[in-house]
Amino acid sequence: MASYKILISGPVGSGKTTAVSTLSDIPVVKTDAKPTDGVAALKDSTTVAMDYGTIDLGDGNKVHLYGTPGQERFKFMWEILVQGSIGLILLINNNHPHPLRELELFLEAFARSIEQIPFSVGITHMDECPRPTIQQYSQLLAAKKHVVPLFSVDARSKEDMNLLVLAMLSMIAPEIALENFKGLTLNAHPHHLRYTKRQRH
Amino acid sequence: MKEDAMKTILSDLNGSSGDIEASAVVSLDGLMMASLLPADVEEDRVAAMSAALLSLGERTAKELARGTLNQVLIQGSEGYTIMTEAGSEAVLTVLAKKDAKLGLIFLDISRAAKALSNLLSGA
Repeated sequence: MASYKILISGPVGSGKTTAVSTLSDIPVVKTDAKPTDGVAALKDSTTVAMDYGTIDLGDGNKVHLYGTPGQERFKFMWEILVQGSIGLILLINNNHPHPLRELELFLEAFARSIEQIPFSVGITHMDECPRPTIQQYSQLLAAKKHVVPLFSVDARSKEDMNLLVLAMLSMIAPEIALENFKGLTLNAHPHHLRYTKRQRH
Repeated sequence: MKEDAMKTILSDLNGSSGDIEASAVVSLDGLMMASLLPADVEEDRVAAMSAALLSLGERTAKELARGTLNQVLIQGSEGYTIMTEAGSEAVLTVLAKKDAKLGLIFLDISRAAKALSNLLSGA
């Protein structure tokens, strides 16, 4: 029996709460409030402390999934929640004015953690806004010497979110019941990720 | 202006007891609405922390079947931080001394929270 903690972070409106809900096997513990600033124009609730869900890996093994608030004033929650995490998933909303800058900000905020734990990056809302391109993100990450999984994702898609989690985990811990992870198997090399859906019998 | 009216309530509260050192009103999404805090306090962070803690307190009370939340109290070696819901839109955060008489402070706080709640709901 083992349990692992994974953190999902990124700027406001990037899909963190949705991602936790998509991945979690239990009803998500949310702490949300009605926005009273500019965020109100974008959505009618915003996370103020954390989201929490779990992923059952079978045999009593469990992933504890935490989502952070996105606004910088909640940075103290980022610092608290990343403690003990074995990996980090960053979500970036491409339909924001400066998504590349937002990625930089989060790389900086988590600089100390990502020296020690793996992370993956998911770009959301690329269907609404195709620029910047995945290649531009990839260049930014490479310039900062990060070789990490990077995908365009939909936070509502279980397949997409599983891919982000698996790609991140595959960088450190292939022993974490990857084969049983939500019907997905992953043949991963950090540079070359392929995943195949398991056959239903 | 509402901010001035809120500050008046805070200033009455701070004056009501020598044990209360500072107070602030914060929106539930963690933005400062009015404050009488020491100059060295980072207002943005205090506001965000108040909202986060109140929200966690609410969830905890609910999860453990303790009903709706009235208050979150943090006791540190140098004093208390007390966060109280002020209506459905705001949190009243109070800093009190370590040897404060809590019963008396709670009374003053609940009076101020009521006044703030009335003010914010326009009653």
